[in-house]
Amino acid sequence: MVLLQRPHILLLLIDTHQFLQCWIAFGSANEEGQQQEEFSEELLVKPLPDHKLLAHFHFQSSAPPSTSNGCHHHLFPKAISQLVQKFRVKEMELSFTQGRWNYESWGGFDPISSSNAKPPGVELWAVFDVPQHHIDASWKNLTHTLSGLFCASINFLESTATYSTPEWSFPPASGNVRYGTFPCEAVCTENLTPWLRLLPCRDKAGIALLLDRPSLYRGFYHSQRLHLTSTESSSEGIDSGIILEQTLTVVLQPNSERAIEVHASEKHVQPSWSLSSIFGKQVSGRCVLAKSSSVYLLLDWGLVAELKFPNKENGKSAANGLTSENFWSNPSFELSVNPDRIFLEESSSHSKSLSILYMFQVEKYSESEPFDIGLMWKVPVAWLCQQTPLHASRFFMGSGNERGAIAISLKSTQFTEGFMSANSKDGSCELRVDVFQVVPWYVKVYFHSLRVFVDQQPRAVSDFIEKIHVSPSKDKMSPGVMEVVLKLPCRVNTAALTIEFDKGFLRIDEYPPDANQGFDIPSAIISFPNFHASMVFLEDDSLNRSPLLSKFQEKCPVMSYTEVLLVPLTTPDFSMPYNVSTIKCTVFALYFGSLLNVLQRRVAEEERFLKAKAAKKTGRLPLLLSKLSAKLRGSGINQD
Amino acid sequence: METFINPKSLFHLLLLPCLLLYSSIAYNSSPVEAAMHTNNWAVLVCTSRFWFNYRHMANTLSLYRTVKRLGIPDERIILMLADDMACNTRNKYPAQVFNNENHRLNLYGDNVEVDYRGYEVTVENFLRVLTGRHETAVPRSKRLLSDEGSHILLYMTGHGGDEFLKFQDSEELQSHDLADAVKQMKEKHRFKELLIMVDTCQAATLFNQLQSPGVLAIGSSMKGENSYSHHLDSDVGVSVVDRFTYYTLAFFERLNIYDNASLSSLFSSYNPSLLMSTTYYRKDLYKRRLEEVPVTNFFGSVMETIHTDAAYKALSRRNSGRFEDEMSLDQSVHHIKRRMLIKVNDGDEIHDINPEGEEGASKCPWSTFRNKFQKAENVDSLLNYGLVAMIPLLVISTWLVQ
Repeated sequence: MVLLQRPHILLLLIDTHQFLQCWIAFGSANEEGQQQEEFSEELLVKPLPDHKLLAHFHFQSSAPPSTSNGCHHHLFPKAISQLVQKFRVKEMELSFTQGRWNYESWGGFDPISSSNAKPPGVELWAVFDVPQHHIDASWKNLTHTLSGLFCASINFLESTATYSTPEWSFPPASGNVRYGTFPCEAVCTENLTPWLRLLPCRDKAGIALLLDRPSLYRGFYHSQRLHLTSTESSSEGIDSGIILEQTLTVVLQPNSERAIEVHASEKHVQPSWSLSSIFGKQVSGRCVLAKSSSVYLLLDWGLVAELKFPNKENGKSAANGLTSENFWSNPSFELSVNPDRIFLEESSSHSKSLSILYMFQVEKYSESEPFDIGLMWKVPVAWLCQQTPLHASRFFMGSGNERGAIAISLKSTQFTEGFMSANSKDGSCELRVDVFQVVPWYVKVYFHSLRVFVDQQPRAVSDFIEKIHVSPSKDKMSPGVMEVVLKLPCRVNTAALTIEFDKGFLRIDEYPPDANQGFDIPSAIISFPNFHASMVFLEDDSLNRSPLLSKFQEKCPVMSYTEVLLVPLTTPDFSMPYNVSTIKCTVFALYFGSLLNVLQRRVAEEERFLKAKAAKKTGRLPLLLSKLSAKLRGSGINQD
Repeated sequence: METFINPKSLFHLLLLPCLLLYSSIAYNSSPVEAAMHTNNWAVLVCTSRFWFNYRHMANTLSLYRTVKRLGIPDERIILMLADDMACNTRNKYPAQVFNNENHRLNLYGDNVEVDYRGYEVTVENFLRVLTGRHETAVPRSKRLLSDEGSHILLYMTGHGGDEFLKFQDSEELQSHDLADAVKQMKEKHRFKELLIMVDTCQAATLFNQLQSPGVLAIGSSMKGENSYSHHLDSDVGVSVVDRFTYYTLAFFERLNIYDNASLSSLFSSYNPSLLMSTTYYRKDLYKRRLEEVPVTNFFGSVMETIHTDAAYKALSRRNSGRFEDEMSLDQSVHHIKRRMLIKVNDGDEIHDINPEGEEGASKCPWSTFRNKFQKAENVDSLLNYGLVAMIPLLVISTWLVQ
């Protein structure tokens, strides 16, 4: 027995030893890998040419792969990680937008406008890591979950008639992507609050403290976006887990009472502002859970060119002496707070001047000394933002309630002129434009009627369209999708695509309650894959990069959304069913009533009955009584 | 044959009175003790669309604020708003909704959780919420997850008429629909007590078809009367609150969660001359005396506290095995089985008050048999009585006709 037991004990000892070793190794690996959940908060403020102000909040949370620490989180929102795990979401973007991004005056060729300018209402796309036949079910469940999470009616995107499957024109090009928009969705506080709840400090501390609802929603444009990428599968060597990027982009009008006081000659001076004047609040210290917490002020290169910094000519030397005071004590404006650092944009090919980024660390400030940056303009400045290569707009053609046409027009901007002159030596230069358009099924588009106009001349479609993918709509089943790749010459002034459609009929129960308002056709996405909006700032420590700046460095293709179209459909008289049933009932009653009358009536008998009645005017009860008495007396009342 | 039948009938005869007595005790005692008031829910519905119906949304949000203030948490409030007023382009005060022209109180604060909004507010979704018949994908926050211990406040406002309430200007909720939904809720043990509060024109007519016990209904106006708005805010440009809701709020603003104001004091606080309509209460389905029911029973979340000396004892004593908190594994299994049985028997709740030591598994078939038997007996006797009653009628009529 003893002999038998010994090996067991030995084995046990070895086992425990191994286990301990494993455990220690695991623990140390965990420490070494520094796979920690991280959160950072940033705010970027940028004056816009039309006397407005852009505020761009950027919150980023990241969670290491779930294998390393199970399903426990201390910073990362649990709701999101559960959602990713349950529906196997590889990448997802959800945006709530109100207002329309003004591409002409707010720019279209910078990272903010190409990734944060979104179509009005709700836009959702998601890439799933599930087999093809499960994707639609996952999408449906995802829309419902998101609608519960964000208090929105995203679940209207669950029906197949509302979402589409882009084949290749959509950025994360693969067959597993689903795309849906719901343009008439209202966006308000109830959508922002759950979005803020995903932040570790909510809106109680840090930069998010600035998000005062009335001042946010008073703005011209606000877009609240949630983007998540996950690399759950450990097939690749690098696991980044889940990265959740939350951005809120608002365009506000600094309400400058002083500007009104200033007399008319100084009308063109940009309004001076401070964070407390536009949001009504100040930042009292950072969110203590955040790894980095900073505020940036971005001066566009167009603006910098106008400002004439003292040593603008030797930009490189200025970049070396970053702390030089030249950049923030300028004759044309004054900052209320001294910036902690100044970044210069790395020279880019397209611009004559370089953007400047002022950085302010929020960590230094506290409750007693709140952070509030302000910018005061002294002299009027006017500049232009850099625009997309072609300015896209979309409109309806035709009249009447039966048919019409959709036109997408592309106009060259000042950028294309510069680009053209730069590339003119090449001789044959081409501009690639991708168009992605989803049309609901009740607008029946005839794809064969697609026509291309270049410089107002009708041209052969095959000359300019390199690639086209069309999936026609099915009634009440799926929307029509059109993906086109256009190759236009660089010298093009205007180009237009037109496509004809018939207006469909809906059943009476398919009309929304406000059917007379019209039906929305979602925005078309116009992207320029050969152009990349990126801003690279010279930074000395590349290890400690801010997520916002590294986001700016990413090469994302320039994208713009067209307007949402409102198509009036023929609406029936909604009281018609009641009228019909009333008339029907009346007719039936009249018909059957009179028919029965004719068939049943016995005129002779009736006359006799009347006569009898006239003879003895007795009531019903006496009749019954008399019957009874007659019965009792034994003689039955015989038939008269 | 006779020898075979006789013992059986004798057995029946002996068993029947016992059974009747037993079941009557069980039947009478169990609904009272069956479910204790354990939670509160609120379903607040604004059914009208378009800007000029601002006041209906303000009404609903005021009630939302009140019930939240009195302790019902957001996850137990289903808020349905048919349109977006706060961020409407016509609203001069973005992200704010006021119910008074003094603008002292922003009803649309930072923490509004709207569960159904816009086109989602339909009669179908409303009835789905009440009856709990959703698609599987619908998230928990959009469901009314009440149980037999729930007190539910159902508040509706919008445009109504004789026995209907308009939803979004395109469809109607009929009084029959409402009554059916409430009946289904009762059958599914989705509420213990339900207070329906309606602020529309001719609100009283909406309650005409209600039959389920435990339902209390308040309407802002009688048949043929209109409900009027309270006052116009010239800054917002529309009327901001309805009279009935305004005076309801005036009553609640004086209260906090610890107040013991009764429902009858709420009902008597309505002054018809101020309201310009007559409030209507339907309390024939509600068994408790309104003087004894505090308003926080529905508008707040105030539970009855039971003082116990030892943990768990009092609860189990009080509820006679319904809330067995000593959840050893086999007991809980019995418990579940019993609950299933209750569902099967359709409210005919049978509990063993005296724990004689019978096994749960053996109990189940016995009681089902007993029940079936009892039902069969009842049906037979009913049929017999019916036939007997028919005979004299038949005789008299034939005699008269001849």
